[in-house]
Amino acid sequence: MSTVTRNALVSTETTLREYVSTGVMALGAVLFLASWAVLFQWVGESTPVLGVAVFTLFGVLLLAMAVGIAGVGVAARLGRVSASPSASAGLVVGVLFGGIGFVTGGLVASQTLGMGAVGWLAVALAVGVAVAALAVVPREDVGSTFPPALFLAFVGALLVTGTLGLGWSWSPDGVSATFVGSVMVPVLTVAGSLVGSWSAAKARAGFGTQGREGGAFYLIRLSVFGMLGVLALLVGFIVKNGLETALTRAQFGLGGHVGLPGSILGVTLPNWSVPFVDVQVPFVTNVSQSLFVEVPGLAPAILGTLWLVVGAMLFAIPLGLAAAIFLAEYTESRLFRQLVEIATNGLWSTPSIVFGLFGLAFLVPRFGGGKSLLSGQLVLGFMLLPLVVITSYESIKAVPDEYRDASAALGVTQWQTIKSAVLPAAMPGVITGVILGVGRIAGETAPLLLVYGGPPFSSQNPSVLSSFQFTSAPPFVSNTALMDAGSALPYQLYTSITSGRLPGQGAPFSVQEFGWGTALVLLVVVLGLYAFGIAGRIYFRRKLYNE
Amino acid sequence: MASRIAERFEHYRSRNEDAALVLLAVTALSLVAAFVLFYQQSRWTVVPVASFLLLTVVGWVRYQATIARGLTFVMTVATVAVLGLIVAFLVVRAWPAFDQMGLEALYRTEEPLWKPAKTTPWSLAPMIVGTMVTTAIATAVAAPVGIAGALYISEIASDTTREVVKPGIELMAGIPSITYGFIGFVIVNRFFYEEFQTSTIGNYFTVGAMIGIMALPTIVSVAEDALSTVPEAMKSGALAVGTTNWQTMKSVTLPSAFSGVSAAVLLGVGRAMGETMAATVMIPHTKGFADPVYDVFGGVGETLTTVIAFEGGNATGRHIEGLFAAGVVLFLMVLVLSVTAQVIQARMRSKYGGDR
Amino acid sequence: MSNADTTPQRQDAQATETTTGETVETVRDEWADYDFDGEPMVAVEDVNVHYGDDHALKDVSMDIPEESVTALIGPSGCGKSTFLRCLNRMNDRITSARIDGSVAVDGEEIYQDGVDLVELRKRVGMVFQAPNPFPKSIRENISYGPRKHGDIDTSLLSRLLGRDDTEAEEALVEQCLRDAALYEEVADRLDDNALGLSGGQQQRLCIARALAVDPDVLLMDEPASALDPIATAKIEDLIEELAEDYTVVVVTHNMQQAARISDQTAVFLTGGELVEYGDTDQIFEDPESQRVEDYITGKFG
Repeated sequence: MSTVTRNALVSTETTLREYVSTGVMALGAVLFLASWAVLFQWVGESTPVLGVAVFTLFGVLLLAMAVGIAGVGVAARLGRVSASPSASAGLVVGVLFGGIGFVTGGLVASQTLGMGAVGWLAVALAVGVAVAALAVVPREDVGSTFPPALFLAFVGALLVTGTLGLGWSWSPDGVSATFVGSVMVPVLTVAGSLVGSWSAAKARAGFGTQGREGGAFYLIRLSVFGMLGVLALLVGFIVKNGLETALTRAQFGLGGHVGLPGSILGVTLPNWSVPFVDVQVPFVTNVSQSLFVEVPGLAPAILGTLWLVVGAMLFAIPLGLAAAIFLAEYTESRLFRQLVEIATNGLWSTPSIVFGLFGLAFLVPRFGGGKSLLSGQLVLGFMLLPLVVITSYESIKAVPDEYRDASAALGVTQWQTIKSAVLPAAMPGVITGVILGVGRIAGETAPLLLVYGGPPFSSQNPSVLSSFQFTSAPPFVSNTALMDAGSALPYQLYTSITSGRLPGQGAPFSVQEFGWGTALVLLVVVLGLYAFGIAGRIYFRRKLYNE
Repeated sequence: MASRIAERFEHYRSRNEDAALVLLAVTALSLVAAFVLFYQQSRWTVVPVASFLLLTVVGWVRYQATIARGLTFVMTVATVAVLGLIVAFLVVRAWPAFDQMGLEALYRTEEPLWKPAKTTPWSLAPMIVGTMVTTAIATAVAAPVGIAGALYISEIASDTTREVVKPGIELMAGIPSITYGFIGFVIVNRFFYEEFQTSTIGNYFTVGAMIGIMALPTIVSVAEDALSTVPEAMKSGALAVGTTNWQTMKSVTLPSAFSGVSAAVLLGVGRAMGETMAATVMIPHTKGFADPVYDVFGGVGETLTTVIAFEGGNATGRHIEGLFAAGVVLFLMVLVLSVTAQVIQARMRSKYGGDR
Repeated sequence: MSNADTTPQRQDAQATETTTGETVETVRDEWADYDFDGEPMVAVEDVNVHYGDDHALKDVSMDIPEESVTALIGPSGCGKSTFLRCLNRMNDRITSARIDGSVAVDGEEIYQDGVDLVELRKRVGMVFQAPNPFPKSIRENISYGPRKHGDIDTSLLSRLLGRDDTEAEEALVEQCLRDAALYEEVADRLDDNALGLSGGQQQRLCIARALAVDPDVLLMDEPASALDPIATAKIEDLIEELAEDYTVVVVTHNMQQAARISDQTAVFLTGGELVEYGDTDQIFEDPESQRVEDYITGKFG
């Protein structure tokens, strides 16, 4: 057919084109990482590298990339290297580079040349249209290499000549920020390396449809790398800065003891203890504020989080599991199921602060008017509820009908079937769902600010079990610990930000360092729960599919 | 209608012992009584609570099947009731504030803007603008990167790489909001304040970027789910004709999964809108309007979520009622987004459900 | 035109005893030799495919002549589809697959470095078991391949620059629909969504779509198994017509269909073995292998 062109099936040599393109991409990667290092101030802006200022080196490398890209484009156009370019780089590329040209032209015209509004607009338009034409009109091998090469050469020249350097700054009128050279140079270098590497990726795959795939896949891979990089940086910062605080005056040794708690529910226990490894981490075991304590610790916060989570689970799991069972096994009405689904989804997407407001409006007045642990437990329970319902429902639904049919065929009642055949099979999914839900609410702060958060640095641990008392008047049982405001890990992190300093004097670290340590402990707890839940889910899903 | 209910009831009655039904009824009544007494702030609430627990235990031992079915039904109703209660209490507490200002609270731009008192006017407009600006910035960051991530996991990654990347991104979702906020406060805000010489520590730009990073895992997970439901046969058809993987993604996979991917973006936007703690510690908490409007580095910063979180702990009277009003507005905005996303997802599931 | 160099002997004379005492037929290499005039369009030599530990195809060698219909028959799961997917490297999509051996299309080896997969799949087209048209219009389905390859450009830019291919696209669509015997039925609704067509029409559309990139070889994986008898008959007639211009390789589990439409037939039996390959008439009337005769007459498989 006349519409189909035949190209070679096999191209044997790894051509010069591929080598040069790979080289350009490698340079791009180096520039990318180096620029971020400068932005994070791991590498100083003025330290000389290879005898040259860092920014000048950036400029040189950018120029090298420009030469490489343009060279490949020219060689392909002249037929010196094999490639399969399309007739044009396409409208999208044209618009993008036209835009870059427009912005660059406008900035140069208005800032450097000082033209008025009409002047710089005209210049910007002219440059934009010219660059767009350069991208679109010639064949793709020229159109997707020359505009990027121009951009890189422009930025590179600015850096090498020092026009854009440490002393440069710009405060545009409409924006309350100043752009300084020490920040803009790495930022522009990052932009340049991205554009250059994208063009090189296209060239490396030979232009044409595979070239566009190469360019697109480069950008996609970069996005994923960026996301994981942010995660790694986050965790890395917290571990690095928090570990030192967390291990303040810590001791590890053998020959210690662990004792049982003094009393539970008012019943005194004997004074037993079990030999154990001697691990002392004051940061974890001390209260946050006390005359007797040298190292402010997180014990009140850790215990607070523990009790909050336990209370939330006691509320949400029976309620949510029961609702899921009814929805999955008992109800035949599609309307009812849809109604409950809408309600559950509505609960799930409600912002956490709104739950806090609800707790403030509904629970706090009925628990004595002040903040309390019980309010916190119930509010977190409300947040956990939709998660339990949704994951339990899906786990129960995932149990194959064969289980139910086999049981019914033996004459077993519906409830018996659910209890002994369906629920045990659904349990793994339910448990992993609960773990993930607990991981989420353990990190919640917003509702606690309104219904539970107490003094910023707590001087006593919540002792819920030993505070139960029976009274002669209704409500016949009371627990002061449940009615107290208190602390929790995420809340403690919040107060370490909003408090200017640690209470008392002589703490071995600053309030910010206390915050890093808290962030570390919180991260360990929450990520531990999440990792557990995700691993469990993968494990059970694999088991289910292998059956 | 009434006869159908009676019919249903007779049918139910015939399959369960009458004693069991009576016990169930009393148990349910105990629960209702407990709720009512609790609502009245009565000290006697513990009595129906105890009777509910006791009757449940008795029923469990004696008439387990009936109690099981009845209780699970009651719990389902309770779950729906929680949402109803939230809406009700929110509106009731916010009512005096809305009564004072009417709908003007949503768009008033003249001073005084805050804080609400019985005698002075106030406005939620700065906060609404703040929410919209930060959400827009967050979406601009999260949508392209998130969709790229979903494409990578679903179409490009090898099996081993996927096993690493997918849990990694889910782990990102697990990091608590306050932790992001702490990093934003200590590192990002300081950096921007020193390097860009903004007028305040913290601005819409940094807050929006941080929220965008936090919304990423949501978009990636939901979009990846949508992309993986596109039937392999369709992709094979495209590849067999000699198109590249990328062309297949652009012209076959993404259009087929379009509704699912849009639902993913909407859910991400909803998450960004409801984000509280990171924004609260990073934002300057000054109420006003940026001048000009696009000055995202400007010296103003307050969103619906941050104002409630920051001031809610100690507010009273008309002030707290104004915060409740902010809560109502926020709730409505997020609800609209989430319902739209769920409708899209449901439609998509019914279209492709059989092909899984 | 079977090879008369060696005189094939019946299984009774070739029987060997295994350790368990069963008599197992020894497969003779000559049974898979098939002589014909001219160069083979597809030359397969010693291809082995492993899916992980599963040895799905064992030492398969066969030459396929051009402009003819070759049928691949055999019981389910014996590797016919796997073999077919080796010819256009669609097995590459399966990460656990390992392919050894040589496949040459029109004289060029396709399992070597530097092979352009896009180009390969232009030359070796494929039609699948269940019709899989794109959720686009009939016209867009057919011109999909040439559009994506850049051979047809009807974008806004090209229309602005005056070098668009709208007429070429129309001619291509009509030609392919005629070649697939579908034009008469859909000529008045080329812009309708392809998913609105009947099953048989959709499959012929998929054939037209494959023809649009001008292949040399057309691979068809049980193309009529999802269709009703009338639609099946139309597909069979179409295959015979297509063989005048294309090299068609058809996988089918329907032996009567293979006997009807193919020029030569290859029989795969359990374990991924190519047992016998030759002239269709000869295979169905007088096969050399006892197992093949048993399969064809229905004694097993």
